[in-house]
Amino acid sequence: MSVAQRKKRFVITRFDPDRDEAPRKQSYEIPVRDDWKVLDALNFIKDEVDATLSHRWSCRMAVCGSCGMMVNGEPRLTCKDALSEYGETVEVAPLANFPVVRDLVVEAEGFMEKLKRVKPWIIRAKQRAVEAGPLRQSPAELEEFKQFSMCINCMLCYAACPVIANEPDFLGPAAIALGHRYSLDSRDEGAAERNEIFRGEGTVFECSFANECSEVCPKHVDPAAAVNQAKFNAVIDWAKRLVLPRGASD
Amino acid sequence: MKHPLLKLEPLIWLLFGQGILLGTVLLTGWLLVMGLALPLGFVSPDALAYNRAHRLASHLVGRLVLLALIALPLWKGAHHLRHFFIDFGGARRDALVAPLLYLIAALGSALAVIAVARI
Amino acid sequence: MSRDAHPQAMAPSRPGRTRTAPPQLPDRFPFGGRYLRYTLFDLTGIVYLLLGLLVLCAAWSLGSGEADWNRVLASYRSAPYVAFHAISLVAVIFVGVRFFAFFPKAQPPRIGPAKPPPKPVILALLYALWIGVTCALAAVLAGGVLR
Repeated sequence: MSVAQRKKRFVITRFDPDRDEAPRKQSYEIPVRDDWKVLDALNFIKDEVDATLSHRWSCRMAVCGSCGMMVNGEPRLTCKDALSEYGETVEVAPLANFPVVRDLVVEAEGFMEKLKRVKPWIIRAKQRAVEAGPLRQSPAELEEFKQFSMCINCMLCYAACPVIANEPDFLGPAAIALGHRYSLDSRDEGAAERNEIFRGEGTVFECSFANECSEVCPKHVDPAAAVNQAKFNAVIDWAKRLVLPRGASD
Repeated sequence: MKHPLLKLEPLIWLLFGQGILLGTVLLTGWLLVMGLALPLGFVSPDALAYNRAHRLASHLVGRLVLLALIALPLWKGAHHLRHFFIDFGGARRDALVAPLLYLIAALGSALAVIAVARI
Repeated sequence: MSRDAHPQAMAPSRPGRTRTAPPQLPDRFPFGGRYLRYTLFDLTGIVYLLLGLLVLCAAWSLGSGEADWNRVLASYRSAPYVAFHAISLVAVIFVGVRFFAFFPKAQPPRIGPAKPPPKPVILALLYALWIGVTCALAAVLAGGVLR
C-alpha cells in the first residue's frame, strides 16, 4: 500500500519546565498524507519520531475544543485544519496569551475561572416546583441565544484577543458570550445580576472591538457580537439603576 | 480597569460610541468643506465670511452641531488612545493615563459649551 | 519574534504545580495581518482628539470676533493644515466604514418587544444618515443653502 511520500517540515515550540529555561523551537521533517489534518502530523511525530512531544487533543472532529494551537501564527483547531492549506513548513506553537505548561499544552485553569465568574447557569428568582412542569421555550426564543451556546471552549478567541494579552482581569470573549447566552435565555431571570458582573472587575467595556475573537472562532459563535450586545445591556442596566430607586426590579 | 473610573465606564462608552457615530458623520462634511474645499479654493471664501459663519453658529442648531463636532470626537479620541496605550503594554499605567485622557475630553467638552455659548 | 504578553495574562488565581513559560503575544500583533486595521482604528484616536481641539479653536474664534475667525480660516490654507485635514478625512471614512460594518451585530436581539431591523436595512440607514448629513452640512458650510 503506497502512501504519499510528500514531506513537510514542522517547527514546533517545545518547553519542558524541568529542562528548559525558556521555550525553544524544534524542527521535524516527516512524510505526510494528502488528507491529513495538522493534528495527524503532530500525532505522527509523537508516535513515530519524538514521544516527548506533549499536546492536547480528543475528538478529532472540532467539537471538544481540546486541540487549539497557534499554526503559522494563527489560533486554529489542529484537528480541523487541513495540512494541504499550508506550505512546506508549518510552525506550531502553544496558544498565545496563555501560560505554557509544557510544549503545546497551555494552562487552562485561568479560563475556567473566568467562565465561572459570569454565572453560566439558569438563574431563577424563585425555585420552580417539579409539579409545575418544565420551563417551556419556543423555537423563536431558542434562536435568540442559540448561536452563543455553540461555544466549545477551545480558547482560540482568547489567543487572538489583544485585550486578553494586556489586561489580565478582562473576562474575555467566551466567558462574556456564555454569560450573554444565559441572559438572553427566556428561562433565565439573572440578566441584572450578570449585567452587574459585566460592569465590574474585568468589565465588558475593556473590549476594544478588535473582532479577532469572531474571526478565529471555529464554530461561528461571533463572540464579538455577544460582548458588544452585553455592553449595550450593561449601559441600559446602569442607566436604570441611576434612575430607579435601589431594590426596584428590572 | 481601575476602580475609580469603573462606575463611569458605561457613560464613557456611550459618549465614545456617539463620538464614533455622530462624530464621524458630522466630521466628514466639516472636513470636506472647512478642511479641503474652502482652503483649496473650491468654495468661495464668502461662504464662511464672518457674518455668515456667526449667523449660522448662533442658531440653536448651529450651536448644537458645533458642540457635537467638538465634544464627541474628543471622547472617541480619548477612549481609543487609551486602548492604544493598553495594547502597547500600558495596562499598568492605565490608572494614570485613563483619567488624563478623559480629563482632556471632559475639559474640552466644558470649553466647547463655553465656546458655543459665547458666539 | 513574539513578545511577552502581560505576565498575568490568563493566569489562574493559584499557581499550578509546575513552572509555566510566560504567555506570548500573538505573532502578528500589533501591525501584522488583520491586527493592522485594528491598531490603525485605535490610532485614529489621535486624529479625532486633534480635530475636536481644532474645531474648538474655530468655535472660540467665532466668539472672539472677525479678526480671529479670519486668522483661523487663513491658517487652514497652509500646507500642513490641508495635509492634516486630508489625512483626517481618510481616517474618518476608515472609522465610519469599519464601525458601520460592526454596528448591526452589536445591536441586542430585542429591546422590549421590538426587534432591530435586518442587517442590510441597518446598514442602509447608517449610510443614508452619513451621506445625508455630510451633504447637508457641506451644503450649509459651502453656502449652497441658508445663504
